[in-house]
Order: sequence, then C-alpha cells, then structure tokens
Amino acid sequence: MAADSEPESEVFEITDFTTASEWERFISKIEEVLNDWKLIGISSGKPLEKGVYTTGAWEEKSDEISFADFRFSVTHHYLVQEPGDRDGREEGVEDALPLPMQDLLCMNNDFPPRAHCLVRWYGLREFVVIAPAANNDAVLSESKCNLLLSSVSIALGNTGCQVPLFVQIHQKWRRMYVGECQGPGVRTDFEMVHLRKAPSQYTHLSGLLDVFKSKIGCPLTPLPPVSMAIRLTYVLQDWQQYFWPQQPPDIDALVGGEVGGLEFGKLPFGACEDPISELHLATTWPHLTEGIIVDNDVYSDLDPIQAPQWSVRVRKADNPQCLLGDFLNEFFKLCHRKESTDEILGRSAFEEDGKEVADISHALSKLTEPAPVPIHKLSVTNMVHSAKKKIRKHRGVDESPLNNEVLNTILLNLFSQFKSAPSDSLTYKLALCLCMINFYHGGVKGVAHLWQEFVLEMRYRWENNYLIPGLANGPPDLRCCLLHQKLQMLNCCIERKKARDEGKRGNVSDRSPSGSSGDTGRGADHSGDNLKEADKEVGKSWESWSDSEEEFFECLSDAEDLKGNGQENGKKGGAKEGSRDPVSLKPEGRLHPHGKLTLLHPGEPLYIPITQEPAPMTEDLLEEQSEVLAKLGTSAEGAHLRARMQSACLLSDMESFKAANPGCCLEDFVRWYSPRDYIEEEVVDEKGNVVIKGELSARMKIPSNMWVEAWETAKPVPARRQKRLFDDTREAEKVLHYLAVQKPADLARHLLPCVIHAAVLKVKEEEVLEDISSVKKIIKQIISHSSKVLRFPNPEDKKLEEIIAQIMSVEAIIARARSLKAKFGVEKCENEEEKEDLQRCPCPYATWCILYAHLSNHLFTLTESSDEVTNFVPHFPLIFLSCIELNLSISAMPPLDEELRRSGSAEERRFTAGSVLDFPPPTGREIVLRTTVPSPAPYSKALPQRMYSVLTKEDFRLAGAFSADTTFF
Amino acid sequence: MDEDVLTTLKILIIGESGVGKSSLLLRFTDDTFDPELAATIGVDFKVKTISVDGNKAKLAIWDTAGQERFRTLTPSYYRGAQGVILVYDVTRRDTFVKLDNWLNELETYCTRNDIVKMLVGNKIDKENREVDRNEGLKFARKHSMLFIEASAKTCDGVQCAFEELVEKIIQTPGLWESESQNKGVKLSNREEGHGGGACGGYCSML
Repeated sequence: MAADSEPESEVFEITDFTTASEWERFISKIEEVLNDWKLIGISSGKPLEKGVYTTGAWEEKSDEISFADFRFSVTHHYLVQEPGDRDGREEGVEDALPLPMQDLLCMNNDFPPRAHCLVRWYGLREFVVIAPAANNDAVLSESKCNLLLSSVSIALGNTGCQVPLFVQIHQKWRRMYVGECQGPGVRTDFEMVHLRKAPSQYTHLSGLLDVFKSKIGCPLTPLPPVSMAIRLTYVLQDWQQYFWPQQPPDIDALVGGEVGGLEFGKLPFGACEDPISELHLATTWPHLTEGIIVDNDVYSDLDPIQAPQWSVRVRKADNPQCLLGDFLNEFFKLCHRKESTDEILGRSAFEEDGKEVADISHALSKLTEPAPVPIHKLSVTNMVHSAKKKIRKHRGVDESPLNNEVLNTILLNLFSQFKSAPSDSLTYKLALCLCMINFYHGGVKGVAHLWQEFVLEMRYRWENNYLIPGLANGPPDLRCCLLHQKLQMLNCCIERKKARDEGKRGNVSDRSPSGSSGDTGRGADHSGDNLKEADKEVGKSWESWSDSEEEFFECLSDAEDLKGNGQENGKKGGAKEGSRDPVSLKPEGRLHPHGKLTLLHPGEPLYIPITQEPAPMTEDLLEEQSEVLAKLGTSAEGAHLRARMQSACLLSDMESFKAANPGCCLEDFVRWYSPRDYIEEEVVDEKGNVVIKGELSARMKIPSNMWVEAWETAKPVPARRQKRLFDDTREAEKVLHYLAVQKPADLARHLLPCVIHAAVLKVKEEEVLEDISSVKKIIKQIISHSSKVLRFPNPEDKKLEEIIAQIMSVEAIIARARSLKAKFGVEKCENEEEKEDLQRCPCPYATWCILYAHLSNHLFTLTESSDEVTNFVPHFPLIFLSCIELNLSISAMPPLDEELRRSGSAEERRFTAGSVLDFPPPTGREIVLRTTVPSPAPYSKALPQRMYSVLTKEDFRLAGAFSADTTFF
Repeated sequence: MDEDVLTTLKILIIGESGVGKSSLLLRFTDDTFDPELAATIGVDFKVKTISVDGNKAKLAIWDTAGQERFRTLTPSYYRGAQGVILVYDVTRRDTFVKLDNWLNELETYCTRNDIVKMLVGNKIDKENREVDRNEGLKFARKHSMLFIEASAKTCDGVQCAFEELVEKIIQTPGLWESESQNKGVKLSNREEGHGGGACGGYCSML
C-alpha cells in the first residue's frame, strides 16, 4: 500500500510487491479497480425521484481480479444519472451522509418491479459486488468470508470510496451478500440471513419489528418510530386451458386429406403456449407508521382489499413459441439448404432410368455429375417426363413425402382460387403453400416434391397450350420477384404458341408442314437472333441481322415473286429490286386504315399493318441485354451497331407495312411511324393554288441512314409470315429449365419476399382486431424496413433475420394481449355464452377479472420496458368492491377454495360474498422497516437503519443495513 | 479515374420524337452539334463522368427513341434510373402537350418513386417558339420537377441541366447510396454477375 502513496519510488515499489502477501495484493487490486472506475471520493446526487429505478437505465461494468489463484469478478452496478449529478462527487458537503446511506431511507423506489436484488433489498442506486468468477465457485467457510469482508473494509478505508461494496458468499443461487459502506465517521454494515423455512416469530410484522429493534440496539427510550412499507404479492400461474389464446392447429386434420382451400392460403398466427407465464397482484402499503396496524401470529390488519395501492404485473413467457414466427423461421432456414431437388428426392430415380431405357442421353446423365447439369444439355422434356414416371413408380405411398391426395389438393387449390381472387397471384400462393409444406408436410423434402410437381405442371401447361392462371396478363411485371416474372414470361410464351397453333389449325393449307413450333424439344438448341449472338456477328451484312431461315413462320423460297416495293420512292433500292407493278400485289396483314391518310403515290388509303408484338423481357434478360448494349461502347460504330441490333422490330414493322400497303414508300411509312419526321408546308403552285407539300425531315434524308437502309432491305411480308421477333419456344424452354434447376434453397430465396409480405399482411390483419398502438408503430417500421431490404436482389441474411425477428416480436405482443384479454375475459360480457364461461371459471382469483375493467387500458399499452401497471388511486379497493357486487348480480361466483377448484364441479359450489374477500395466503410478503437512530451510543450521530424481509413459501430472507458512528469507536 | 468516382448514376432521356434528345446528349457528352443526327432506334447509350461539388459521378445516360412504336420497348430501360430528363420542343406545342403521357409512363415503369425528374424545353435558339417559358415552369412546378430551357445547338443550358440533375440526385442520399452499396456487394462476387447497376424491381410491400 506504501507503493500507492509513493508512486515515484519505483524501485521500492517492486520490493514492496515481492514481500506483500496474497491478501495485501488482493486488497490493492480492489483499490485499483475502484480507482479505475473513479469511484473514489464523496458521492453526491439528487434525491431519487419516484419510480426512477424502473424508468431509468441501469448499467454495469465488470472486471476480474484474483486472490492467489482464485478468481473473482468485480461488478459495478449503477443507475445511469445525468452527467450533472455525477460532477458533484468531488464537491459534496463534507459532513453530509454518504449518498447510499441516504438512499436506505428513501421511500420513492420501494419494491421496484425489475431490479438487481440488492437494489430491491437495500434501495441502493449504486454498488459494487465482488463474487467468485466461476459460476460454481463459492466462498463457504466462515473465515474466508470474514477475510473477504475485511479486505473490502480495508480497501474502502484506504481509498475513501463511498460506494457500498458487497461480497457474495455461499452458493450463488442463495444470493447471499455481505457488505459495507463507509463515509467520514460513519459506517453501514450490510448483513443477511437466508433460511429455507421462516421461524414462526418472523412470519408476521410484530416479530420482525422485534428483530429489527434488537438489532439496532438503540439506547434511547422511547425508540424513535419505525416506518414500514409492506407488500403482499399474489401470483397466478396455473392457467386453465380455457385461457389459451389459441388452440394449436389440428395437424392431423390437415394431413388427413381435409385440406381446405383456406388452410393453404393463410398463414397461421398466435402463440402455441401461453405467452403470459404469471400474473402478479401486489397490494402495497407504501407508508405505515409503527402502531397503526397490528399483524401478529393470531391477528392481522393487513387485508389486501384495504391496501391503498394495487398493482398488477404481467410476467411474459421468455420466448413464447409463436406459429407465424416458426413458419417464417423454418422457411428462412430453407434458404441455407444446399441440396438440389434431385438430391433430396433421390437421384436413384435418374440412375435407374439409364438401365431401363437404352437411351444414350440417360446413359450420359448417369455418367455426368452432378445430376442437374445434363438436364440442361439434353432434352429437358424427356428427362423430366421419365423422371416423373420414375418418381411415381419408384416411391411408394409411404416413401413419398407428400401423399398424392394432399398434393392434388394443394395443386388444385393453387389453380382453383384464381378466379375468385385475381389480385392474388400464383406466385404468392405458391410461396404460402411451400411455407406450409415446409412446416407441416415433410420439410425440405416436401418442398422439393411440390416444386418438382409444379415444374411438371408448368411444362404440361406449356405443351398443351393451357395458360397459367393467377398471373396478370401482359409482359413480366418488373416490380415483382423474378420467379413471378419468369412465370409471366412462360404465360406469354403459352399465349403466343396457343394463338399460333390455333391460327395454324384454321389455316392449314397456307402453312408449310414443317412449321415446327409445337416441337418443344427443339427450341433449346436454337441459336436465333438474340443479342448475344448478334454481338458476335458484328461484321455481318445487314441481311444477316434479319435472315435466319428456320425462324420464319413460313419460309418464302421464291423471294423474287414478292419483291420489295422500294422502287416507288425512287431511291437506289429500286434498281436492286427491279420493277414490277406494285398494285398487282395483294395487300396482306392490314389492321385498319390510318385515319384519312392515303398513300402518296397510288392514292390508296394508308393502312396500319398488323405487327409483331415486341419480345417480353424478365429483369434478368433485360439486364443481360442492357449490358450487351452498353458494352458496345459510346463510339459512333458502337452506336450504329446498337441501333442495328435493335432494328429487328423496325424492320419487321416496315415489312408488315409494305405488305399491307402495296406501292407505298418510306414517306408513307414515316407518316405512320414517326409523323414528326414528315414535314408538310403550304406552297403555292404555278396555278396559284395553295397546296400542301410534304417531305421527309432532314434527318430521314441523310443518305444511308438506318431507316432508309432498313426500308430498302424490307420485303413486303405480313407479320404472320415474318421471322418471330420473340421465339416463344426458346424462351419457354429457357424458363422451364430455369425453374427445373432451382434448388429448394433458391426457391426459398425467390419467395421469401412473398412470404414476408404475407406475414406482414397477416400481422396487420391481426393487429386491426386488437388495436394496439405500439404494434401499429412497429408494423410501420417493419414495412419500411423490409421494403428497403427486399428491394435489392440477394438481401443480406442478417437483415432478413432482423425483419423476421421484428415480425415475431409483434406476434408475441399481440398474443400476449389476447391472452390477457382471455384471462380477464369478463369485460366484454355481452353474450350469454361468455358469461357462462365466466361462471364456470374456477379460478380462485376470479375477482381479478373485475380488475381488468379498470386496468384494461393500461394493460393494453404494455410496452417492453414496463410490465407493471400500478393503480395509485387510493380508493381503488372501493371500486373493486363495488365491481364485485356488480358482478354478483350478473352471476354467482364459484367458491374460491383451492381444493374445490381442483375437484368438484361448478354446480356444487356456492358463492358467498365473504369468500370473495378471502384472499388466499400471499405468495410473497415483503416488509421494509426503516428508522433513524443514533448508534452505537445515545450521543452518536443519528444514522439510517433499515431491514428488509421477504417471506415466500420456501424462502425467508432478512437483509439488514445497520449504520454506526465510528468517530469515537 | 474510376477509383475516385463516388457513384454511377443511371439517367434517362425521354420525350416525343424529334425534340432533340440525342442532340442534347451529344452536346453534353461530346460538345458538338450535328443538325443531321439520325433518328434513334430503340435506345442509345453514352457515358460521361462529371464533377459536382467535388464529387465525381459517372453518368450512364440512356437515350431513347421517341416514336410511339418504340415505346413498348424502351420502358424496360427505366428500371433503376435515378434521374430522368424529359425533353420537349419549345417550337412544337404538341411535344409539350404530350408530357403528361410521358409522366404516366414513368410512373408505371419506374421502379422507384424518388427518381429526380428534370424538364427541358429544347430548341430555344429557334424563332418560331410556341411554348412560353412560363408554361414550362408551371408544368414543372406542378409535377415537382427541375426546369430549364436549353438549346443543343447553341449550347445554352445543356451542361447546366445535367449538373443540376446530378447535384439533386446526390443530395437525395437514399437514391444513390443504395445503388453504390449494391455495386459494392456485386464486386465481392464478381465471377457470378456483371457489374450492371441493378436495383431490382422487387415487390414493394403493401
């Protein structure tokens, strides 16, 4: 210790430490820690405000020190105070009592609902605890305990620290602490008694008063009055099943084939267990003076009904199992599964196929690992079909994760609900179904199975021209998830194929027999006009961009018969294409006349042609395409190439236009297509008449600009005979392949936004029923949070977890509110049935129900930070009593006898008004006794003395803080 | 140079055919004017890095064709744009009247609602003006847009228009931060994807 006072003499310090005993070193370490935490000096602060222990924030700091090789943890617990309060530590008045001693007497924070036990027992705002670091270590022997206490005492004395210092002794679970607090000329000893069974004289107030007084050993007569605070706590925890907020779903009924349409479209909600674990009623006498009431072994004035302060506290179950949260979590876990569908459903299906069918492709698939890869190379249709057959054959009913009946119901359900709910998409429903399947029907296996069936169904629909229901018409909606876009894309393909096939049927003679659009297997190998290909063929001539014979609806072998009509405009195309009478050509593919416009030369009406629809795109295709376009760079050549790559649509429209308007010229086309590029002017001709003269805009007249170039190339071909701009066969195969290779994890990632969306809607729906303001706020946060997170592809797992956790917390809050409502269900006793239920309620605390009527508003604004509702209205018990009377007039209450509750039936019970008021013995009795007396001598300073006692069924504790004047002792 | 670029912004130029979208862009990127610029087919693309308030921003500018028929094609490129320049021709009232259609189009196809919009009245060098400056101002105010009159030919207002737009985008942090953040994520797994600025069109909730 000398070392501390002379830090400059380093040499001596070293010597000092070598000779110091372990004990001395231990003490100096304690001092060091106190120094580090700046706990030295006079502590001062404002008097404690009412309830600040509950509303304020508590913090703690920890460090570790050791006594020889025995490790202790030192922890400083303190109420966070405004900085201004702490500055006063140094300036405090010298002779004022240390703050902790003042706190002993403060009555503003008795019985805090949630606090460190030392706070509850001694009312301290700040203290340091030294406890064995290892959880199972304990300081047991008396001499060791004393040694520790002496160390504390010396450390406090050496440093002048005024913060109480406690040491934990005995096993940790006993929560035995002894400690000390020192101030200038004063000392408080904190002592404790902990017993399993209370001696009978300590079970009542008068006995405790005797102990307190003898402990003080006050020499004065008469003794200054002792102030008392008493709290009796009643705990209700064994709820009847009736009180459950929600019956758990009947899983057997679902599996048993009675899968209702509703079941699969909706997410479950609510807690599986009671989210309220206990309900506490505390009746408190916050301030009694000795002698006002009597409480001894034969008589007690402590009637809970008469208590001036009541509070109800709800204890929540820590992590109540909630259905929606479970659903979300399980589905989210799917995202991390590595297995492919084939791995899950058994690759053997494919392998055996190789033996049965002597097909080279299957042999290849057998050799190539992993399984999904060859599917891409070979005929997808073949593979999937044989796989389907195989799977059906291979897996018996028992083996199948989903039996056929369930599966059919699901699929039927998926497709059947669309008519009724067009706003709900297939994708959304699929997400919910998979969620459900994942939870109830075989987990990832079930998901894989359903997905496989789904993909087969999609293929079936494609091959047989059945549109997929439940999807908005038109091109993929880029605001939806990619999977949804893919399905929409597939639908576009089906739609076009259907239209084409129907057209073909009605027009057989017109069509070349080789029109092979129905051959699905072929499409995958096509190398059509997509942009990537185009990118490679940069150097090719204009024709190469548009010519790809096999892609034509119908190939025109003799192009000479249908030569272009470009010669009419007198440009160079005319020479190349030769000259023929354009009028002799039969117009084809007309949609309707374009207003009153006529062709410039023949004077025929100008017809708008039937044109090809541009290719629908999903966001990944679009991304690919814009990348290709962007990659061409910003040079003139790049721009030219880019324009050329995008001119397929222009060329197709020109061809359609030419076919519909034989004898037309580029001017005609421009008047329809880009009217602002045809400039009309009024001119006076030689006869003096005003005539309108038109010509192409300057930019259209640029020699060999792309429009002119395309016009010259365009042949008069109606849209239906043109090369398809959109190769539906190829696109459909691409989509189907994409779908087929999605692993359950991919699928879960695709659909998680839908599931979260559905969960939020569900939570919102449930919240509306309960109308809890705090929940409204959280839901708003969830929505804005998740819309931010889900906007981007591949959101981080951590953020997704946060969203799910938020949804779960909302679910738990709502479940708690429901549970409380159910428990206090009398409030809305409007219908007879409910009243009957209430009558049957065998709960001994049925009277609490009435409490609800008055506390309900509070109960439903419970927040996470405060779980206690206190009613300070002094006449509350009066209201309470009148409510009982009110309730009596409604129905006779069952007796409250504990034994009867367990056995007899409701009818046998008789209600008597008296028994309502007979509370059972309290679960906990807490008493705080306080006084200020001089100690040890009559002429010593008057100092705070305090004793807290708590008595429960199997635990009795006395915690005393006794101060003494040390000036002359 | 790419290293000190704060962010890459996607900007769109839309408007009726022949109002001078490509000319504006050409003036901005190459500082030239070509009276005989061919009509755009589909979409065109140019890049320019500019510095606004000391922040370098790389602009990927998508120029679109104004013809009715191309309109089924171009909206696909609206995705993920942070800024849009809506151009009309002050000498042709019909191009001004059609602005409402373009705004509707934007609303339908744009994946974000906080996109910064700028209205540009082009061709102020011409004498036969049909749309008064005040009309343009009024329209821009009504639809909370930036507004400027410009001439690609004389260079008036062009630079200014692009700079204003970029400044506004940078002042709207949610708009571009997420974009660059997204890019950062993409860099880490470069093998899989290419760096295209994608802000997905994912389902927005409720």
